[in-house]
Amino acid sequence: MQSLYEYITRFTNVTQQEFEQMAGLLETIHCEKKHILTHKGQVEKYLYIINKGLVRKFFYKNKEEVITQIAREKDLVCSSVSFLSQKPSEYVVEALEPCTLFAMSYDNLQKIYSMGYHMERMGRLITLDWLLQKETWEHDRLRHEPKERFIRFMNENGDFVQRVQQKYLASYLNMKPETFSRYKHLLRG
Amino acid sequence: MNEQILYKHYLETVYTYFRRFIELSREEFDFIAPYFEIRKFDKKTKVLKIGETDKYFNIIMKGIARKYLMVKKKEVTIQLSTEGHMIHSEISFNLQQPSDCIIEAIEPVTFFSMSYENIQLIYQKIPKTEKLGRMIITEMFIKKDQRDFKQLNKTTRERFLDYMHNHPDMLQRVPQKYLASYLNIKPETFSRLKHLLRPKRNVPVKE
Repeated sequence: MQSLYEYITRFTNVTQQEFEQMAGLLETIHCEKKHILTHKGQVEKYLYIINKGLVRKFFYKNKEEVITQIAREKDLVCSSVSFLSQKPSEYVVEALEPCTLFAMSYDNLQKIYSMGYHMERMGRLITLDWLLQKETWEHDRLRHEPKERFIRFMNENGDFVQRVQQKYLASYLNMKPETFSRYKHLLRG
Repeated sequence: MNEQILYKHYLETVYTYFRRFIELSREEFDFIAPYFEIRKFDKKTKVLKIGETDKYFNIIMKGIARKYLMVKKKEVTIQLSTEGHMIHSEISFNLQQPSDCIIEAIEPVTFFSMSYENIQLIYQKIPKTEKLGRMIITEMFIKKDQRDFKQLNKTTRERFLDYMHNHPDMLQRVPQKYLASYLNIKPETFSRLKHLLRPKRNVPVKE
């Protein structure tokens, strides 16, 4: 539960009691590599915090998979719009490694919010963080050349090179796999 | 309408909007109301410049504003907003750091605005507004995701038709180059796509 505690306290302080109440509403899920956590068209029931493993989120553009998130330990992942709106998901959420996840259901999250304004505040700040990440992602995508995006991403996420297939990283960075391969020499030295 | 009546009208609009999300008594709203300011800008005014910290959360009451980034020397429009919409630099405002984007009035605009400090004060004084804030942010997040999704997933033609169908008055109100940039369509392509908007005729008619 340390991963959850660290995530939450980035946004707000919680008492031991509040945290235990929250933790009591989490389900622990183990899944195999390639397990689909959320299918397209399904309403997202859970918000996952990753305790161990790697998860990706993508959508289909015709038959091509376009990856919009790669999440690792201590990250939050879910089909966020579907979760927030409780409408069918446009995205697929899939485990890339065997995973241990803590899952908070939509209903349980509403229970947490009803515990008090303190919890509402936490919810507001976490949702705001998602919004700002999305905004930053959009600005970066528009402002930086592929090569620059590659370098910035690798500086912050060097560990992904060992854990994630290149074609997935290329898709996330919105570049062709060949371009990605070509840029790898930039990492040496 | 004189200023006083207008101000009251704007407050009522906001009160109705807030009550979509939470129960809020007249007394509670009366506490919030004095923190709203009317801000007016002429056409082409840069309401927020690169490097400035965005101080205000704005609801547009009249006019159109856009938000754009400078990419090399080109302007890339990332938001076009009209009456009833909100506009601010999410990153600069919420993190109180210098902005990387510009907000500009396309028509003369009237904003109903609240400052960052005052919003924090209201969260403290009326804690139930935490929920209001969460729900407004959630709605913004969903809208933004839908736009990202369309940009990545729809063809140029689909993006064009979809937008024109949902915002039929924008073609009259906004210069084409801004619309084209917002939809990530080349200006020439945008001009070409406009024929799709003319009603189809069964019988040829002389022009």
